Amino acid sequence: MAVDPLFLVGSLVCLVSVVLCIGAAVLKQGPNDLTILSAAAVELFLLVYGAASLLRLAGGQGIAGAAWEFWGYLLTALIIPVGAVWWSLMDRSRWSNIVLSAVGITVFVMLFRMEQIWDGATLL
Amino acid sequence: MNRSSNSNDPGAVSPPSGRNAGPGRLLVAVYAIFALAATARAAFQILTKFDHAPIAYLLSAFAAVVYIVATVGLARSGATAYRVSVAAVGVEMAGVLAVGIFGLIDPAALPDDTVWSGFGSGYGYVPLVLPIIGLWWLYRHRADARR
Repeated sequence: MAVDPLFLVGSLVCLVSVVLCIGAAVLKQGPNDLTILSAAAVELFLLVYGAASLLRLAGGQGIAGAAWEFWGYLLTALIIPVGAVWWSLMDRSRWSNIVLSAVGITVFVMLFRMEQIWDGATLL
Repeated sequence: MNRSSNSNDPGAVSPPSGRNAGPGRLLVAVYAIFALAATARAAFQILTKFDHAPIAYLLSAFAAVVYIVATVGLARSGATAYRVSVAAVGVEMAGVLAVGIFGLIDPAALPDDTVWSGFGSGYGYVPLVLPIIGLWWLYRHRADARR
């Protein structure tokens, strides 16, 4: 089974964000433009992913699993970058970069589940 | 709030204290993610298929509440928040162990998975490891209980 290109793009965005955020934390930097915008990029991807999923549904593709569950995951995932960025604005210590790195990790896991629900198959 | 300032303890004067600063913030973040995940999962289970396994889903909802209370308790400063977080993380520890052991003894009684089933195996055993780290962290910062 071919892996969904959207899933690959999303995984890449998450990976880049995690590397940048953990790297900044290791270098003892506080949250900066690079790390905050990388979490924002994850949010942007999720919005694009949601729009693309709606277009696919309109184009006749279906969700193999429970549609409820797919959209539930997506809406929950959308909250995570917002919360982390808000946190990074409140707390300027380097620990906030670790919190920002949790965005990429968590959203990747959720994308993985969404991909499983969309295709009704187990990846790997 | 009237905090007794103790000259031996640099964190005593102004919040956030040592408990919810530095790595403690990371702990709060992980609890927040689990609170969100458990709440979303329990809401989905109860709204879509409650009749299928009501006890398991109510247990999921209970776990979600425990994670929310633990998140708030760990995030806030002060003696009351400290006690609340010890209670919530303690209940979490007991819950993971009890549900995990119960699942081994009588798998048929809990037919559907909860966050705590199989000692949290569905979540990479994070539900088992998290309260251990949480209780250790609270023990390390037990001076907070007096403030």
